Amino acid sequence: MNRDEVLKALTKPSPHGPDVDLSRFDIGSQTPETVDERGVERITERLGFGSQVFRRVDYLQVNESIVAKAMSEKLVKYGAVVLPTYEALRKLDWATSYSWRLIEPTVDKYTAASYLYGREYGFFIYVPPGTKVREPIYTCLFITKKNYAQLLHNIVVVDEGAELNLITGCGVPDQPTKSLHVGISEFYVGRGAKLTYTMIHAWAPDMVVRPRTAVDVHEGGEYVSYYVIYSPVESLQTYPKVYLRDRAKTTLNSVVVGTGSSIYDVGSAIILKGRESSGEILSRNLGRENSAIYARSRIEGVVGPSRGHIECLGLVDGPNAVIESLPEISSSTPEAVLTHEAAIGKISEDQISYLMSKGFSEEEARAAIIKGFLSIEEPKLPHQIMEIIKRTIEYIASRATG
Amino acid sequence: MLRRMLLELRNVGVAIGARTVLSNINMKVDSRELHVLIGPNGSGKTSLLNAIMGIKPYEVVNGQVIFMDVDVTREPPHLKARRGIAIAHQLPPVLKGIVAGKFADELVRRYGVMKIYVDTLLETLDVRYLLDRYLFDKMSGGERKRLEMFLTLLVRPKVALLDEPDSGVDIDSVEKMSNAIKVALNSGGSVVLVTHSLHMIKLLRDHIKFVHVLYGGTIIHSGLYDEVVPTIEKHGLSGALSRLVGGTH
Repeated sequence: MNRDEVLKALTKPSPHGPDVDLSRFDIGSQTPETVDERGVERITERLGFGSQVFRRVDYLQVNESIVAKAMSEKLVKYGAVVLPTYEALRKLDWATSYSWRLIEPTVDKYTAASYLYGREYGFFIYVPPGTKVREPIYTCLFITKKNYAQLLHNIVVVDEGAELNLITGCGVPDQPTKSLHVGISEFYVGRGAKLTYTMIHAWAPDMVVRPRTAVDVHEGGEYVSYYVIYSPVESLQTYPKVYLRDRAKTTLNSVVVGTGSSIYDVGSAIILKGRESSGEILSRNLGRENSAIYARSRIEGVVGPSRGHIECLGLVDGPNAVIESLPEISSSTPEAVLTHEAAIGKISEDQISYLMSKGFSEEEARAAIIKGFLSIEEPKLPHQIMEIIKRTIEYIASRATG
Repeated sequence: MLRRMLLELRNVGVAIGARTVLSNINMKVDSRELHVLIGPNGSGKTSLLNAIMGIKPYEVVNGQVIFMDVDVTREPPHLKARRGIAIAHQLPPVLKGIVAGKFADELVRRYGVMKIYVDTLLETLDVRYLLDRYLFDKMSGGERKRLEMFLTLLVRPKVALLDEPDSGVDIDSVEKMSNAIKVALNSGGSVVLVTHSLHMIKLLRDHIKFVHVLYGGTIIHSGLYDEVVPTIEKHGLSGALSRLVGGTH
């Protein structure tokens, strides 16, 4: 990569989301630190992980301190590799071939900053061919410093016929941090392999969040993702892209709960590059208080036969909340069947009346409706992960009624 | 000592906003009784049930709703439900994301219902296969009505207000729902059944205490099955109205 081009990209805004002046953040300086354990505990609670899960976390990074607890012992029996990315790139020759391959450093200022100043912090996970990792792998990326820029590069390779369930929690304690989180994630799903990826975000009203994700799913592989954000942010913008080869499939679920004066620009794109590939985008967006949610979703049919479907639903539950749903389907082949449905509404009085007539108070009725709206049934996710998501959704629903 | 009535409507008047839709409604329902409200479209049957339950925008503007000696006229629906009044809506709303079985479990938990009663209702109404679906989503008319009746009777209400459970459903579903009403009556509940068809009434004939004929926003006649139903059968509902005016128990 030409370093000059990347330097030029430092001023290149993203096509979506508010542009952010990166000089607001402390980028590139290396200051020694001690981990704020109470802060870490608080973030874990906010993510709904609970202490039991937290004790089993496989990779924990707080700011730039890596506390890689149980990862080696738990995964060594599978022959899997979990390392900080910088270490994997240094130790494993082959690892470099996966680095900055799906995401160009020049995409925008956030990728450029991560490439130039991130020093390859983040996690690298490799699962060998045919290896099915039964227990979910938990990774946590936390920020406790103020005015800090957490620039991460995560690489996950699930080799041919292998399976991995990965759950990542990112967050800050609920106190001012005025920090930036950029996560570059490059995921490779081998032939006939399967990766399920769950990401839960718990940020604060002054946080700027810019994840950048790309996934390459090889022949007959499957990628399932589930993204939940329910905390306020200054702004969050993400637009993961999933490339599907022959017979590959994907389901991308997202749940966005807008609060405060936050701006959430959350998209997903599926590119049907292979014959008989199929993809689905399911998004639920709840707009409260003064929040603005831009729910983008796009499916491109490049090669057919292939199928794609977008379901984007919004619920406006605040006088000043805004939701914009922007589903796009585009095809350059007559053999791609692409459909979409999008709807935005408010909590219906009929629904509240109905539940009240069954004995629910108005608050209980609203909470039940919100919980139901946000619950995307995803049978492909493991039980343990669904439990975490369920707890998170219950937490959101209980807070939604004030 | 005066006998305590389960549900009593005393000169009830109902309005939707500024529009009066019902006036001077009187009715007494005792334990284990089945009362039928019959009347043409627009006569105020649905308005009356919703007003008893306290569902907006129906409002009791005159008179009183007395339940077990307590004036519950102004109580919100959830408190009435907790006292033991339940309503089966004519058109229950779709609640995507709320799984019918989980919702039923929650009601069972809240109201402390015995499993054998739940199973009896599930079988009688043939709704077990609907429990893994979202509430009323992608269901036929009969399925919606049967599920709604299940969720209403499930909590073993002291009085169940059933709003046209038989409208727009097949004969098989009408029979199942009639049997469920019998289950509720046999287990000690009372029922106020709104309908404008005679099929369900005939199926429940032996259990009916009174048939109340509602017309023009008031009850024009209350009588026994043998007084009212043959007249309607012979003359049709509209033809029977003029013959029934005035007779009230």
